[in-house]
Amino acid sequence: MLAYLAKRLLSLVPVLLVITIATFMLIHIMPGGPAAAILGLEATQSDTDALNEAMGFDRPIAEQYINWIGGLFRGDLGDSLFLHQPVGQAISEHLGPTFSLAVVAEVIALLLAIPLGILAAYKRDSALDQLVRSLSLVGMAVPGFLLALFLMLFVGVRLHWLPIAGYAPLADGVWAHYRYLILPGISLGTIQAALIMRMTRSSMLEVLHLNFIKTVRSKGLRESKVLLKHALRNAFIPILTVIGQTFGTLVTGAVIIETIFNIPGIGQLVINSIERRDYTVIQGVVLTVTLLYVLINLIVDLLYGAVDPRVRLDRK
Amino acid sequence: MRKKWRSGLGLSAAAVLAFTVACSNGNNNNGGSNASGSASPANSSTASQPAAASYKDSLKIAVTAQPPTLDSATTASALALDIAGNIFETLFTLNGNYEPTPVLAESYEKSEDGLTYTIKLRQGVKFHNGKELTSDDVVASMNRWLATSSRAKTLLEEANFSASDATTVVLKLAKPNPDVLVLLSAQAAFPAIFPKEVIEAAPAEGITDYIGTGPYKLAEWKQDQYIHLVRNDDYASPEGEPSGFAGKKEAATPNIYYYFVPDNATRVAGVKSGEYDVADSIPTENFEELSADSNVALSSYPGGTLTAFLNSSEGAFKNEKLRQAAVAALNDEDILLASFANPDLYKLDPGFMNPDQTQWASTAGSEYYNQNDQEKAKQLLKDAGYNGEKIVLLTTPDYSEMYAATLVIQEELKQVGFNVEVLSSDFATFLKTKDEHSKWNLMVTSNGYQLIPPQLLAVTQSWVGLDDAQVKASVATISSEADPAAAKAEWDKLQGYLYEQAYSAVIGHYNEVVATSKKVEGFSQFVGPVLWNAKVAK
Repeated sequence: MLAYLAKRLLSLVPVLLVITIATFMLIHIMPGGPAAAILGLEATQSDTDALNEAMGFDRPIAEQYINWIGGLFRGDLGDSLFLHQPVGQAISEHLGPTFSLAVVAEVIALLLAIPLGILAAYKRDSALDQLVRSLSLVGMAVPGFLLALFLMLFVGVRLHWLPIAGYAPLADGVWAHYRYLILPGISLGTIQAALIMRMTRSSMLEVLHLNFIKTVRSKGLRESKVLLKHALRNAFIPILTVIGQTFGTLVTGAVIIETIFNIPGIGQLVINSIERRDYTVIQGVVLTVTLLYVLINLIVDLLYGAVDPRVRLDRK
Repeated sequence: MRKKWRSGLGLSAAAVLAFTVACSNGNNNNGGSNASGSASPANSSTASQPAAASYKDSLKIAVTAQPPTLDSATTASALALDIAGNIFETLFTLNGNYEPTPVLAESYEKSEDGLTYTIKLRQGVKFHNGKELTSDDVVASMNRWLATSSRAKTLLEEANFSASDATTVVLKLAKPNPDVLVLLSAQAAFPAIFPKEVIEAAPAEGITDYIGTGPYKLAEWKQDQYIHLVRNDDYASPEGEPSGFAGKKEAATPNIYYYFVPDNATRVAGVKSGEYDVADSIPTENFEELSADSNVALSSYPGGTLTAFLNSSEGAFKNEKLRQAAVAALNDEDILLASFANPDLYKLDPGFMNPDQTQWASTAGSEYYNQNDQEKAKQLLKDAGYNGEKIVLLTTPDYSEMYAATLVIQEELKQVGFNVEVLSSDFATFLKTKDEHSKWNLMVTSNGYQLIPPQLLAVTQSWVGLDDAQVKASVATISSEADPAAAKAEWDKLQGYLYEQAYSAVIGHYNEVVATSKKVEGFSQFVGPVLWNAKVAK
């Protein structure tokens, strides 16, 4: 097991190296630079050049890359050009809100998806099944930002139940923290719920046909136990894969919802940094996001073994 | 420059929001009036309580983006300057009539030859760190400004500040300039007074230790979330009726929060729901929706000009006749309607300067303004021997008004026979391409007003490469002419010349729109929102 883990982690190194080189090249191919973004439209060319020189962007790209990667090995991601703080600090500050939002969205998605998916499979082709399937289609089809704006308008502006936008850290109190995350969580969660629901339904359907289900039923086990203990557990591997993927998407790709609800997360950071040409932050975020995505996949792989003991990862 | 609109998502989001509001208004009209009806008795009951208890201790304003810095001398970002104006003060500032008025200065004397200004400082002013303001601080700050601000560098060449005693500073100029005090008062890249030690310790990229003398202190800058200002309890306010940026500053609300809210729909929804007390840069398409809201007050103020700049340094528009043809084809009314959506929010006027500023407002060149004369344009094209060479319009969708204007101009130019293409990219790329003069022929930008004509981008060579001896001579005359009437006559001549040569053409003047909750009192607008006398009823 440990050997497997070590192998997986070691294989990360080339992946990350390629990613850093690719982002570095892409960023520098992109026209415009941080100096222009800081100084604004009316700055003169000489002002811009002077600031670029002060920040070291007049140096050859290879030299800039080596400096940066050298810092990386010492655990230093550099300083943000725009935020006046170390990149590592900027990322960790923005990761908190994104992670909280992802958890809320995933919990909402699971609470919706798993029970409905099981029910739909259990009552296959019934009116309920049709309804659940149509709902999941609608859920996948409605863009997240549309749902977000409707929620903002009705729950926030009309009913005044929840704030329309903003963020408070957990340190301000549990309710203060979560009240900002409910609407964006629903907006993000419903789309993921649609995916997970479809996967749960089809995976359950496959398992419910198998002989061991007939066996446990003929033992006279309660139907709820049949479904939850035997069927769901055996159907869970593909569901877990989808959950892992959706969580990965939530952690790394909630850009639009974060913008609408003004949540200072990773998505906002990356968009803002691209607009500001804040090179060091873009590099740092891409690296972190890649790392997160790979780690989430790794955790899901490890969980396979926990859910289904027949899966042994350390065997060839 | 207008403040940033994030158009792709923002526009569609705002459109959806506008649509849903339109749909829901029909059903919920009764609900809406009931709600406001039940709210008003509550309001009147709080209003009868003692004054201190009936106002909130913080005011929340939603702005479009995080500013790059609060070091005013190094930035042209209007947003940065709006926020920094609460923390820092200058020797002079502008009152509501655009007249220089002392803030940290108490009085000044000008020498006979106009080369020396002796400025007496107001006494008893303290920095946020408790240190008393002296002439050393002023000299260090002002000389740094003269060396860093690009405007100061070009308009006040070889000027220098020195201290004559602890409360007096002397400004020496190389040549007389009638607009010195206006330049010292202008909001763009304003010369904030810092403690000398802060300037000496500042890194090359600019000051990050934000210690000023203003009515508010910086309490916290939470990256990408908000800037929190707290009242400066030791503040020594200038006297006088508040007007523009001048007069008494009360710091009426103990805390001000500037929230960075890039999404248009979110700022609009936020001021409707009461999440924010003030929302800056309201998109023009939301103007009517918000005017119908009984809890929200809208105010608009002259923001600046939308101007077409023709690239006379390289490419097809080196040919004067082709430039004149392009300007003759413009129907400015259509362009403005496309850009600002509501006729109440723009104005047709050929002036490059603020029409409210009587010293410089001019209609010279109006015969070339809003011509919409297709026959004339076609004739000019023919005379120029136009061979169908491609005309490139440079723009960015990040500023929706610039983008919309460009698309309309593309259509108008096509109709008279130009072969037109639009080159559109994100803002940072746009900035880069702007300086590569071989890549484009015409661009439209929206720019805030300048206070004196030599500051105009339309006469600045580094802007789009305009290199014309007559323009330079006129600018020099205006900068040194001591008689206001003669300076104005020269400006009339110059504005007429810019139109005649079709170097640039004003399309029109736009208003900035700010929405405030009806509970906000004492809020005013000048060049930007003025918050230091504003308070919010509970």
